[in-house]
Amino acid sequence: MKNKSFKLIVSLIIMMVVSCDEPETVVTNYVHTDGSVTRKIEMRNTKNKFELSDIQVPIDSTWTVKDSCEINVKGDTIWIRRAVKLFKNVDDINLSYRNDSGANREISRKAAFRKKFKWFNTEYSFSETIDKQLSFGYPVKNFLNKEELLYFYSPDNVKQEKENGPDSLKFRALNESVKLNTDNWTYKNLVSMWIGEFAKLTEGKSGYDLKMDSLKAHEDEFVSLIKANEKTFDSLWANGFLLKEFLGEANALKYKTEADTALSVVTRNYFIDFKDYSVRIAMPGKLIGTNGFVDSTDLLLWPVKSDYFLTEPYEMWALSKIPNRWAWIVSGLFLAFVLTGVTIRVIKKG
Amino acid sequence: MKPESEKYNKVLEILRKSKPLLNSTEDIENKVVARISRIPGSEITLTGIIDFMFGWVYIGWVRRSMIAASMVLVMVFIYQQSVVLKRINYLNRQIVIIEGETTTTPADEIERRIMIYKLSGRILPSNRLIISEKQLDQLLESVTELQGKYKDLLNLIQEDPELKNYIEKKLKETDHTGIKL
Repeated sequence: MKNKSFKLIVSLIIMMVVSCDEPETVVTNYVHTDGSVTRKIEMRNTKNKFELSDIQVPIDSTWTVKDSCEINVKGDTIWIRRAVKLFKNVDDINLSYRNDSGANREISRKAAFRKKFKWFNTEYSFSETIDKQLSFGYPVKNFLNKEELLYFYSPDNVKQEKENGPDSLKFRALNESVKLNTDNWTYKNLVSMWIGEFAKLTEGKSGYDLKMDSLKAHEDEFVSLIKANEKTFDSLWANGFLLKEFLGEANALKYKTEADTALSVVTRNYFIDFKDYSVRIAMPGKLIGTNGFVDSTDLLLWPVKSDYFLTEPYEMWALSKIPNRWAWIVSGLFLAFVLTGVTIRVIKKG
Repeated sequence: MKPESEKYNKVLEILRKSKPLLNSTEDIENKVVARISRIPGSEITLTGIIDFMFGWVYIGWVRRSMIAASMVLVMVFIYQQSVVLKRINYLNRQIVIIEGETTTTPADEIERRIMIYKLSGRILPSNRLIISEKQLDQLLESVTELQGKYKDLLNLIQEDPELKNYIEKKLKETDHTGIKL
C-alpha cells in the first residue's frame, strides 16, 4: 500500500503544528592526530533566527561564527549559520556538553579520543556517545533483524533513495516491517517502563502478585491488551478496565493512584525533549572502522534521533590509522640485515 | 780433499762463534718495534667489514634471536595489514551517501509519536505544547478520519484498473517523482 502522499500531508500538518524554530543542524568533528578536534556546526533555518536555546549542540561566544543565506531550488531563502571552534582535546568538548544550555541540554553526551601506537601503524579512535534514557526499556536489536537494524539507523535521505530506487518494492516492504517491529518495541517499552515505575511505587505496600517479576511475567499479555484496544485506550484506562484486566479488580481499585502516577512518569520520560541533528566525523589518515555511514570522501555521518538512545547508549565511533613510515623502513632494513647475515653464513659454511 | 773440508768447517765454526758487529743497534730496534706495533688487519677491506658486521651469525644464540625477531616482525606486519584490509573491504561494502543529510522528522516517526501520544493518556510536557490539547485532539481526529478516507480511496482505485491507470497517468503529469499506486 503506497500511502506516501497521505504521509506527506500528515507530515506537513504535524510539522506546522509541532515545528519550533530549531534549525537543521549538522556537527562535523575534524579529529587531529594530537587529539585536538576542530568542530564545525552548520545550522540552516528558514528564518534568520538562531537562538542558542534552540540549537541542538552546545555553542557559545567563543566560537567563530559566519552568517550567510542562499536561495534553494524551490526559491525559498535559507539562512545559514556556520560556527567553528578548535577544541584542545575531548575533555573540552565534554565540558561544553556539561555546560550546554541549548535545546538538548537534558541529554547526557560525551566524546572520547584514543591514540594507540602499533609499530607499523598508529591507530586513532574517536567516538561520541549519548547515554540511554530509559531504565526499564528493551534494546531495539531484540525486535529487528540485521537488515532491519541497518535500515532503522539509516539517514532519512538514504531511506528515501532506496524506497524510490530500483528495489523500491523490497525497501518499502522492509520499511513496513521496521515500522511494525518498532511499534511493537514501543508498546513493549511503554509497558515495561510502566511496570517498573508501578512496582517501585507499590514496593512494600503490595503482595507478591504486584512485585516486578510477577508483573513482568504478564508483560506480553498487557501489551496485547493495549494493542487490541489502542483506539479506546483513553476511556478504557480512565474507567479502570485495562487495569482490572492486568492487576485484578481488587488491586486495580486499591492502586489506581499509583498506576496513574506510573503512567505520568512513563509519559514524561518517554517524551524526551530532544531535537534531532546529524553528526559527521573526519578522521586523520585512512578510515578502517566505523558504525556510521561513509561517503565518498571518507566523511562519516550519523543521524541523531531520540529513538536511538531510548533504551541503550548510542555510540558513534570511528577508527583510522596512519602508517609509521619510519617503522616500515627500520623493519625492512633489519630484515635485510638478518637475511644477509644468514646467507653469508650459509655460503661460508658451504 | 780432506784438508780443504777441514778448513771449510773451521771457518764455519769461527763464523758461528763470532758475534756480528752492529754499527747502529738503535735503528734496528726502532724498525723492529715499528713493525711489531703495527695492528694486523687495520686496513679497511670488504672482508673486514663483512666479518665485523656479520660476526654475530657465528654466535648461535644471537643468530637464533635475530631470526626469531625477524619472523615476529613479518608476522605482525602480515597480521596488521590483513586486519586493515579486511576492515577497509568491509567499509567499502557499506552505504555511500553523496548528498548531505537532512534532519527533518520523517512521516513514520511522526506516526509513532502520535501513537505514543494516544497511549500515554495524552500528557505532554508543558514546554512542548504550543497548541491547546483540544486543538491537538481535533487534529488527531482529523488525521484518523483522513487516514480512513485515504484507505477507502486507495481500495477504490485498486479495484478499478481503468481508474488506477488514469490516476497514475495524472500523477506522472503533475509529479515527476513517478509515484505508482
